[in-house]
Formats: sequence, C-alpha cells, structure tokens
Amino acid sequence: MKSKTRKKPKSASSKRKALRLSKTRAGSSGATLVAEAARALGLPIDPAWEAGVTFNLQLIMRHAALVDEFALSDEAEPAPVFRA
Amino acid sequence: MRPNRRRCFVPNAAKTDLAGMTASAIAAAVSSGQIDAVGMVEAALVRIRERDQEFNSFTTVTEQRARLRAQAIDVKLTRGETVGPLAGVPFAVKNLFDIAGIPTLAGSKINRDNPPASRDATLIERLERAGAILLGALNMGEYAYDFTGENVHYGAARNPHDLDRMSGGSSSGSAVAVAGGLVPLSLGSDTNGSIRVPSSLCGIFGLKPTYGRLSRAGTFPFVASLDHLGPLARTVRDLALAYDIMQGFDADDPVCADRPVEPVTPLLEMGSEGLRVAVASDYLKCENAVVRSAVERVAAALNANREIEIPEARRARSAAFIVTATEGASLHLNRLRSRARDFDPAVRDRFLAGAIAPASLIVKAQKFRRWYRAQVLPLFETIDAILAPATPCTAPFIGQQTFTYGDVELPVRANLGLYTQPISFIGLPVVAAPVPFKPLPLGVQIIAAPWREDVALRLAHALESMGVAAATSPASQIETSLRTANGNRPTRGRGRSQNRI
Repeated sequence: MKSKTRKKPKSASSKRKALRLSKTRAGSSGATLVAEAARALGLPIDPAWEAGVTFNLQLIMRHAALVDEFALSDEAEPAPVFRA
Repeated sequence: MRPNRRRCFVPNAAKTDLAGMTASAIAAAVSSGQIDAVGMVEAALVRIRERDQEFNSFTTVTEQRARLRAQAIDVKLTRGETVGPLAGVPFAVKNLFDIAGIPTLAGSKINRDNPPASRDATLIERLERAGAILLGALNMGEYAYDFTGENVHYGAARNPHDLDRMSGGSSSGSAVAVAGGLVPLSLGSDTNGSIRVPSSLCGIFGLKPTYGRLSRAGTFPFVASLDHLGPLARTVRDLALAYDIMQGFDADDPVCADRPVEPVTPLLEMGSEGLRVAVASDYLKCENAVVRSAVERVAAALNANREIEIPEARRARSAAFIVTATEGASLHLNRLRSRARDFDPAVRDRFLAGAIAPASLIVKAQKFRRWYRAQVLPLFETIDAILAPATPCTAPFIGQQTFTYGDVELPVRANLGLYTQPISFIGLPVVAAPVPFKPLPLGVQIIAAPWREDVALRLAHALESMGVAAATSPASQIETSLRTANGNRPTRGRGRSQNRI
C-alpha cells in the first residue's frame, strides 16, 4: 500500500466542525452517552461516578476532535500491522 | 588476598558511602573483593528499613532471596568463578514486573488476589545472570495509568528532594528508590512518559529505549502498542551498563525486535563529538521559565544552535491519549465489570470513559500514528538528536490539582506528560537527563532516531561529564542519615510498612 496521506488545510470551518462533534457527542449529552454505553457494555457505573466518567469522556473527545479533523487518505494504514 | 567471605565485609568508609555508590562502583568493588555481596545487600536492607518509612518506595522487600543470591555470588568469587558485570549490585523493579513467588500488583488492590508469579520477568533474569541482586518490588501508580506517583491503595511515593512533593509516575517507586539512595538501579515502564516524568521530578537519569528493544515478557501490560521498559539510575554509565545487559531478542514478547545486541557502554566516551543536536520548537517549547532555562542550559552545552519543529506534536499527544484510554480500558474491561469499586477512583473513571469512547476514533488515532512517524523520521537525516523538556514544571505538591503553565492553570494528573507523550507515541529512544536546579531538579529529554539509544546515551554522558546534568543527593537523604545517626526516629513516618519476605 503506497502512502497517499495528505494534510488537510486547517480551516476554521473544520475546526468548528470538530468542536461541534466534541460538544454533541460528549458535552450536553455526555451523561446520557455514559449511561447508555455502560448499560450496553455491562459496566456498572455508580451514580456518584457519573460526573467523573463524563468529565474524562469529554477529555477524550476533545483530544479525539483534534485527531478527527486531520484528514488522512482512505489508504492510510493504522500503525500496528498484523503479519500472518 | 581476598577477605574472609563467610563474614559480612564492608569497610567502614564504604559503608558510609554506600548510598552514593554507583552500580559500576559496586560491581568493581565486589568483583575485586573490596566489599562482599552479602555485606552490600545487608547495608542496602538497612538503608531501606531506615529511609523507606518516609519515601514509601518499596511495596515488597525480597530479603531472603537477596541474601541467598548474595551468598551465591560470594561463593562464586571465593572459587574464582566469574560473576558478571553487575556483581553484587542491588536493584529493584516497579511492581508490574513478575517476581517468582509473589503476585504482580501493578499498583492495584485487585491484583493482590492473583496467584504468585511462577517466574521472574525476562529483564530480571538477565540482570541477575549478570550478578545483580533483586531487593524487591516498587510502588507505582495503579495499572500504570498515572503521572503523579500517588496511589490510593499503597500511598504516594514521596520525592526525596522534598517529601511533600510528587515523585511523578507511574514508575514512582523506581525513581524514588534511586534518587533516595536505596538502590543504584531500578527498572520501570514507560507507556506515555512513566520513566521520564518521575526521572525528571526526582532528578535522576532514565532511559526509555526504542519500542521493541527490551523484552516486556513477564510484566503486567497497560497499552500493548505503547508499552516500553527501561532502567533508571544516578549515572549514565549505570544506565548503559544495565541497558546493554538487558538487550537481546526474546520470543516471549511478540513485540521484541530480533536485533543483535548493540552495546553502548564502550561508546560513551565518544561524547557529543560529531553529533548534530537541535532544540524542539513550537508545541515542545515550554512556557515555564525554569523549564526553558533547563533546556537552554543543555542546548548551550551541546552547541545545539538550531530549532526544529516536530510536526503535529500536539495532535500526536492527543492521539496517544486516545489510544491509551481505549486500549487500557479494553485490558481492564472484565475487572471494571466485576470489581470497579476496588480501583483507585481517579483511575477507574478514566478507564470507564475509555471503555465507552467510540472505536472509530481509535482506528483513526492509530492511522495518524503511522502518518506522524513518516513525518518525524526524516528529521533525523539532518540531525542526530532533539532536545525537549521532560516535564512542564518541577515536582508539584502531593495532592496538588493544577499547575501554572504560562498564564493558564492546567490539571496536573493529565498534563505532566505533555512533552513525553508525542515522543513515545512513535517509540523513539529517549534519555531523561536531570538538570540539578535547586531546590528541585528538572529533566530534559534527549531524543534520538529509532535504535539509536547510543546517541542519546552519549549525549547524556557528555552532559554529565560537563556537570550540566547530574543526579544530586537530596537534602532529605542527608537529613534522614543525620537523624538515624543521632538515634532519632524519622519524624514523618507516613509510609506503610513494607511486605518483607
């Protein structure tokens, strides 16, 4: 696989898009996402922990937004490559 | 003529200086018969008993095992047999290394219920084959997800330069035991900075080798695609000596590279000659004046007159953050389901969040990782090493939640690895070299191309020779020695009593 990665210009609109992504997924609806995902995964989350988990999910999502806004080609390979 | 090895032989002069002796000096003294290994071990055990009440660096002291090992070495020496280049050197390991006969805690309460390890980790075996003597297991942040050195189950490992301050983590005990003079050598792990951060805050040398260089077999994992192991010591020569002995392929670790052993110790005296060094700019340029001053001092000593940008380092740190949170959470998913209340709350909440994060983001982070590597590696065509801060501040107080960075307040727990994460994310070898500022030291990262640990260690050795980098004796070490000498008990006594077996 040849590398065809390219760097997307860091336009203001892409930054805004990423921020919206972060806010929508983990901001106002963060607590709901935590509760639903925890139920689906069978993770017991005490109500007292919800604020801490939501805070950390928001932190992950803020970092994720920074990575998500960076365009990579469809052919880009993930770093770990399995060899048979 | 050799001294009588059936009796503990430690000359008085050596006894008083044992805390300051390097691994190289101990090995030379034991091999030549100036000190015997049993005496060396007994002196180290006394130091641990006297001082670790305050430092809280050991969770288990393997007294009996150490004595047996020492006796065996002394017997070999009496018979004229070879004992290896680390003869009689006491060392200890972060408690995520398997030690035969005890459960591998990895800083957790949960793992106490695991069966004892059936064998030692590969790196322990290799050091002991070279004559080193394991003294025990060291405190760490729970499951290595930590930069502070705090641990709700076992207490914080305390910084020997100021016992009220953080040691840094997650290899907290590994840095404290070395900085506090309990052992000259320790082993730690580094997934995002867990060797380099505590080395910086405690003012010692730490080596995070290239990803895949040293075997991780027999250690409790954290993030398989980012986990590294490495040594911590008070001199570069000791780092290199241990590193050389630990190199080599190990089929028990699927990540361990099948490369020949490439000894660095013989190259140390080459110093910085011919090496081109640059200072990292942009994201890796610190806002904090004292941190900048440390980097500038090191740069001036190495004639590093140019700056170089590591492209997209900020984004790389974010990608490392995601991979860590999610891979780590995956490792602990069953424990989070069944024993969530037994985690350190600060660690538990981070793992739970990581378990919930969408998988699509993880793959994207791993794709970015390959792109980033492809951008960074060409930098090493024109330079041999890059300098960057190891931490964004000196050691914060234990319990401190934020620190000042430029004109903003940042959370301590998440940001002590600000400068280390973008480097380990692509597995580059790094030496954390301590600049001996008073009252608190600070580390500078010397970053080299993959498989060029020799470059980073040579430069660190050059800095040490010039006095620009040095592991200085903490004031607390001297105070404790004086109190002990005066027959007074240590005043703090906030550490737990260790498990001594």
